[in-house]
Amino acid sequence: MSEGETVKNEYDELRCTINGTDYSIAAPPSERLLMILRDRLGLTGTKRSCDIGRCGACMVLIDGKSVNACLAMAYQCGGKRITTIEGVAAGGIDPIQQAFLEEGGFQCGYCTPGMIVSVAALLGEHPDPTDDEIAEALSGNLCRCTGYGGIWRAVKRAIEARRSAAT
Amino acid sequence: MLLNRASVGERWRIRPDGPAKVTGSLEYLTDMAREGMLHGLVLRSEYPHARIRSIRTDQAKRLEGVHGVLTYLDVPGLNAFGIARPDQPVLCEDRVRYVGDAVACVAAETPELAARALALIEVDYELLPVVAGPIEALRGDAPQLHPQGNALHRTSFRRGDVEEGFKQCAHIVEETYETPRQMHTYMETEGGLFVPEADGRLTVYSPTQHGFMDRMQLSRILAVPQQSIRVVSSPIGGSFGGKDELNVQPYGALLAMHTGRPVKIHQTRWESVRAGLKRHPMRIAMKTGTDAAGRLIAHRASIVADTGPYSTLGAEVLNFATEHVIGPYRYDHVDVEGVSAFTNNGMSGEFRGFGGNQAIFALEGQMDRLAERLGMDPWAFRKLNLRRPEDPGPFDQPIAATEGAVKVWEAIAECSLWLERGAPAESGQAMLEPWIKTGIGAAFTMHGAGLGVGIPDPAGGRLTLAPDGKIEAAFGYEEFGQGLIATLELMLIEQFGFAADDIRIIIGDTDAVPDSGSTTASRATSMMWKSLRRLKEPFASRLLERAASVLDAETGELRLGEGGIRERAGEALLLTYRELADAEQSPIRCETSFSFPTSPTDRVGAHFMYTYSAVAAKVELNVLTGRVKVLRQFHAVAAGPVMNPQGYLGQIEGGSSMALGFALLEDAVMEEGRYMTRNLDTYLVPTIADQRGAVDVLPIEHLPEGDEHGPRGIGEVGSVTLGPAIAAAIRQASGKWVTRLPVDPASLQETPVFLSEAVNGG
Ligand code: FES
Ligand code: FES
Repeated sequence: MSEGETVKNEYDELRCTINGTDYSIAAPPSERLLMILRDRLGLTGTKRSCDIGRCGACMVLIDGKSVNACLAMAYQCGGKRITTIEGVAAGGIDPIQQAFLEEGGFQCGYCTPGMIVSVAALLGEHPDPTDDEIAEALSGNLCRCTGYGGIWRAVKRAIEARRSAAT
Repeated sequence: MLLNRASVGERWRIRPDGPAKVTGSLEYLTDMAREGMLHGLVLRSEYPHARIRSIRTDQAKRLEGVHGVLTYLDVPGLNAFGIARPDQPVLCEDRVRYVGDAVACVAAETPELAARALALIEVDYELLPVVAGPIEALRGDAPQLHPQGNALHRTSFRRGDVEEGFKQCAHIVEETYETPRQMHTYMETEGGLFVPEADGRLTVYSPTQHGFMDRMQLSRILAVPQQSIRVVSSPIGGSFGGKDELNVQPYGALLAMHTGRPVKIHQTRWESVRAGLKRHPMRIAMKTGTDAAGRLIAHRASIVADTGPYSTLGAEVLNFATEHVIGPYRYDHVDVEGVSAFTNNGMSGEFRGFGGNQAIFALEGQMDRLAERLGMDPWAFRKLNLRRPEDPGPFDQPIAATEGAVKVWEAIAECSLWLERGAPAESGQAMLEPWIKTGIGAAFTMHGAGLGVGIPDPAGGRLTLAPDGKIEAAFGYEEFGQGLIATLELMLIEQFGFAADDIRIIIGDTDAVPDSGSTTASRATSMMWKSLRRLKEPFASRLLERAASVLDAETGELRLGEGGIRERAGEALLLTYRELADAEQSPIRCETSFSFPTSPTDRVGAHFMYTYSAVAAKVELNVLTGRVKVLRQFHAVAAGPVMNPQGYLGQIEGGSSMALGFALLEDAVMEEGRYMTRNLDTYLVPTIADQRGAVDVLPIEHLPEGDEHGPRGIGEVGSVTLGPAIAAAIRQASGKWVTRLPVDPASLQETPVFLSEAVNGG
């Protein structure tokens, strides 16, 4: 099908929920979610850095699990519940984000949305993760600025904050 | 006291740019979009070295939706760029010298169309022999890459008579060290938005470390006055030196001017790898000797750097390395020679540490080897040969004296990590698997700040009481993550007594800020501090005088405070800044400009101000895999007062992570001028799993009485010292000397005794 053709077949329609809103997006089935978010919807909090699933800058939640948006294609997102960094912050600053602020878990900030999404996925699954689990869950998120010291501190603080909020 | 959140109390603050960063709402320049914008792409050379016979663009131009296909014929001004010497073609005319050379650029309505147009451009190349390394480049029969030959720059420094010196030596160590082509790997690749404005000007939204330098270079290329270009350059998703030079700006600017429409460019990682700068790979041969008691007598170093196809700051990096292979030690006889050679490899240029990383790895390696040869403790050996505060600098130049060297030396000598090194190894070893070995090492750095003698190094800034009552601080520095905005805010609060809410910080926009020089060479914090010190008296007294006349009071009864003018003796708020601004006809404004302090010498590249750092590191080596983990680090940094504790800690932690990568993981591998590592699947930077060990940072704030220079730079030194400390720790763990970085795990693999016993039947 060439550009600009108006007749669409059913596969051109991506229906999914993004940050709580239902969307119906005209996109070819192989278009990558990262481009749909950034270029079609203007959700630029999800970052682009390697395009091959190795840096985590593009991390989003799909049904609560962390997924590299640069690897997910439109057809894989049909009917899914997608949360981007904008959705994490929808109800005001989340305790994870607050922890990153307080501990200095970022510098240039370019890896930060993806990093926070990965932390959200981790803590969603393991509220009290071990260091091994933290390292495993975040090893797909590269940060070139911080050396990860502030990120370790922020994750620990976020765990604490969620624990004390829960009790 | 170790630097951490608990130890610094209220000075640990949430960064003003933080909330927008953690919520994803901060718009980076590569996030920008405009209605009707076009997408730009650059066609880069297929070959590391070739003559261009012809470039045909007709087919690409005929494609519907393509609005611009530009070649060298379309460059109205100077078809070249380069901060120090403009010799890199914007668009190549008759020859390509590396795989990142740009041959054409296109702008089209969608990225897909732009890619199709690029594929339709036909370039006819005639292959030329590839100059694949600096040693080949300097051979007499090598193809010459530039009219002046293949040596970009040569350096030398001599003191005494090194041959005579070696004759007096009881111990001599000779070694050759090699360092990798490290990639900056800023997470945000190059790009931005280029907007032709209705009034004929051009706005360039694209990351850089020096907006005014970009503006000057772009004005030369476009053949327009500088004033008709506005460069907006912050925020930046990481730079580390890599975005100081122009990258995609010429193409975005040319395409926007040509099409009259906004053009967006955002490079893929592979485009970034291929075209972007890297750290200079260096080969440093050293011969260093002592007398029988361990006193250094003679030191010779010869540096060969691979600078790639064009100049950028290659000469300056070599100058820096030449100074830093001498370092903080005393020798009577020194002989250094350096050469930086053009090759058909990737571009080398500015990168955090600026040639110091390579130099210090080699120099500290010599110190460890000599100490061992002498049977001395390596740290005691350094002390014996360490500079005194009043000693001249490495080039025998006058420098700003501090006691930093001896203080960081002492901090390591006393730290628990170093004391553990001397503890009997067996007790620790007994608890480990037999194939796990540990070791502890330490290294020392004396790192120059500022651009050094011979390079214009302007600085300055402006304070204004704006019409809306905000105190506006305008500086021509850039925020690429280091925390410059936070540092400036804290300085304004602490030095003037303003509240955070009173302040508006303006950076990264050539229309709105004075030229403060480049945000590079660990200089911005020092220069902001000095600017504020120079502005404090005039700005405060102007505000107080005006307030006194409004209030009909004496200036002596007033002071600057949070929210406005307060009574000197008490807390009462007498006049808000807003009220003061309302009472004024025109904004109250003070500006300062000066130069970064330099040494009174004519030795080009010599520095005046230095930061001293020393690091102890503990590593764990698995001899079955050859893999090394860094378990603990202790950094002592003497850089004057800590301006922004969180930023300081972050610079040392982040810098040391780059050093860890430099030592253990990172190399942009090239074969015959082509990159083998094209993305982050093969170019490996440290992950959180590599950074599980504690990093302790001890700032040493002491400065001599009467010191006028305040905080020294800390932006780079963190990336320098850990590498050689890891190498020393590996020596203790494995008994092997590391001469080449990144360490090859295969070189550290062993068949452990118990396995060889099993194989041999015990
Ligand atoms: S951009 Fe998706 S993982 Fe790097
Ligand atoms: S903060 Fe810059 S990459 Fe993580």
